[in-house]
Amino acid sequence: MRRALLAITGVAASTTALVVLKGAPGTSQAAQDRPVAEAPVVPGGSAAPDPTPGGVTPSAGPGASAKPSAKAGASRTPGTRTSATARATTAAPRTTTSAPKVTTRTVTGPVVSYKYGSLQVRITLSGTRIVDATGLGMPLDGQSGLRSDDVQARYSGSSGEVVAKQSANLSTVSGATYTSTAYKQSLQAAIDKA
Amino acid sequence: MTYQDIHATGRRTGSSAPYGGRPAAPVPPGRPRRGPGGRRALVAAFWLGLVAAVLPWWLATPPGSLADTTDVLTAAGRITGLVAGYLLLVQVLMMSRLGVLERWLGGERLSRAHRDLGATLLVAVLAHLALLVVGYARMEKNSVLGQVGALLTHYEDMVSAFVAAGIMVTVGFTAVRGVRRRLPYELWYHLHLTSYLALLLGYGHQFSNGAQLYEPGPVRTGWIAAYLLVVAALVWGRLIAPLGFNLRHRLRVADVVAESPDTISIYLTGHRLNQIDLLGGQYFRWRFLNPGCWWQSHPFSVSAAGNGRWLRLTVKVVGGHTAELRDLAPGTRVWAEGPSGTFTAAHRTRERALLIAGGSGIAPLRAMLEELPPGAALIYRARTPADVLLHNELDWLAQARHTSVWYVIGSRDDPGPRQVMSPEGLRRLVPDLTRRDVYLCGPGGLVDEAVRVLRRAGVPRRQIHLATFEL
Repeated sequence: MRRALLAITGVAASTTALVVLKGAPGTSQAAQDRPVAEAPVVPGGSAAPDPTPGGVTPSAGPGASAKPSAKAGASRTPGTRTSATARATTAAPRTTTSAPKVTTRTVTGPVVSYKYGSLQVRITLSGTRIVDATGLGMPLDGQSGLRSDDVQARYSGSSGEVVAKQSANLSTVSGATYTSTAYKQSLQAAIDKA
Repeated sequence: MTYQDIHATGRRTGSSAPYGGRPAAPVPPGRPRRGPGGRRALVAAFWLGLVAAVLPWWLATPPGSLADTTDVLTAAGRITGLVAGYLLLVQVLMMSRLGVLERWLGGERLSRAHRDLGATLLVAVLAHLALLVVGYARMEKNSVLGQVGALLTHYEDMVSAFVAAGIMVTVGFTAVRGVRRRLPYELWYHLHLTSYLALLLGYGHQFSNGAQLYEPGPVRTGWIAAYLLVVAALVWGRLIAPLGFNLRHRLRVADVVAESPDTISIYLTGHRLNQIDLLGGQYFRWRFLNPGCWWQSHPFSVSAAGNGRWLRLTVKVVGGHTAELRDLAPGTRVWAEGPSGTFTAAHRTRERALLIAGGSGIAPLRAMLEELPPGAALIYRARTPADVLLHNELDWLAQARHTSVWYVIGSRDDPGPRQVMSPEGLRRLVPDLTRRDVYLCGPGGLVDEAVRVLRRAGVPRRQIHLATFEL
């Protein structure tokens, strides 16, 4: 039994260690990749590791996840969604049995890292139809931020190219090839999963 | 030391009458040692596999991408999920009765590892479930219960995954020692069998929702290959290998002999017994194919080294099943799985050995004595002189193989046994104790106490070999 306790502690400790190791930015690869890739952004990038070991990315992370939900008109979908699930859990208005069938659902693609950072595509489906899409966690500042904005503007949203084409077969945004490719990769995975 | 009986007089070096007039077994030409190499290889393979299971996550996660609590929760959930998936495969593999595992690790070590990993698996599954539900709930701004509902309704294969988790939790909790003792063995056994169902039901969600596994690629292929390997090992270890063994050797009961009021020896004959790669001290899982016994299989050691003509197991009558064994008719077919176990002379690390037996625990040691080089020592604990089993054979072996045999008779609290079962007492009987391998077989209490005493006497852990089937 003692060994079992040891093993359990070991799993907990190593899981924590793995997450901490990955979670801490400014580690070797991140530090190497970014300044090289985006020389003009170095001020922003170098300012980040100084105050806390959570500089650029944490500020980008919440910012990005907050931004699309406000911008991409997704506020409608999560709204209906939560209310639908809340109804299901309280189970009070069981009469509306047809309601759950038309609920929308969201599927999130994997995190794809590319030259300027990493992103993740979340699509909202109504039945099998994609009604919304957005990229999460994309870099916001500097040159790469502009690329992110270009790609978001072309692809995401309920009137973007994803919804129009209903597939990951999108035309590449010129001047943002890496970002487009990463976006399409995550999107394809999300569509496969859905 | 107070020995009360002729059977219990100090040191014996054998009686003059060999057992049944049978010629002494030929001294085996030094069998090859089976060192810990195989075991170490398997342990290394386990750790490599664990690393390989988590590596895809490590490679797919860019550094610094775990920005907020949600990401951290999800990441931890994925890691524990990968660990749990891997451990489940290992758990099933360990119970596959694969010959390699049974002979390199031994049933005893396997079942200990199975128990410890089982507890770890249970915790990993619960952590995986909790972390991901909470993580996803935060990501989708949902309540925890609402998220469980969403997972069940919107995600593929999640219903079966939740059922699998439920099965694993049930199996895990019923295996807790206190609970297990309160359950009838059969109920516990059949509950435990449903873990195969958990393997099956948990399969789907790893590929339809697993962030590392749904993308076709080497990771997914490797994971599927691991599943196929485990299933193949199960089919081989549980079906094909035993079928081959039994078709080849066709064992039958030849005779049932009473050794003492509550102990019997079952002699078995069959075809090509000289081709069984049996070492003294190993065991088979026996299934006696008569109307009362065919549905249960029990591990019993073989109580005589392989001689090419017959096999013998010596069994103490303690429960319903063993009571029925007394009435086995000669000619009854026997289904055997084995031989298994690392409790053999070939696994010793030193040249000489000390064997300590308690009650019917003499069976594997009696078989092992024939394969140990001269100079071995045997301490045989028994409650009363009548409990000393295979007495004549031991005396004959003592003489033929130059083995020192001590019978220590009396209950645990009698002065004699207490004196022997102390570091000083053992050292007095066997002065070179710490330079010997010690083999222990007997009731759990005796074995535990003997291990404590031996450790205090300075015997290194790796020189102590145990055979207990109780956990």
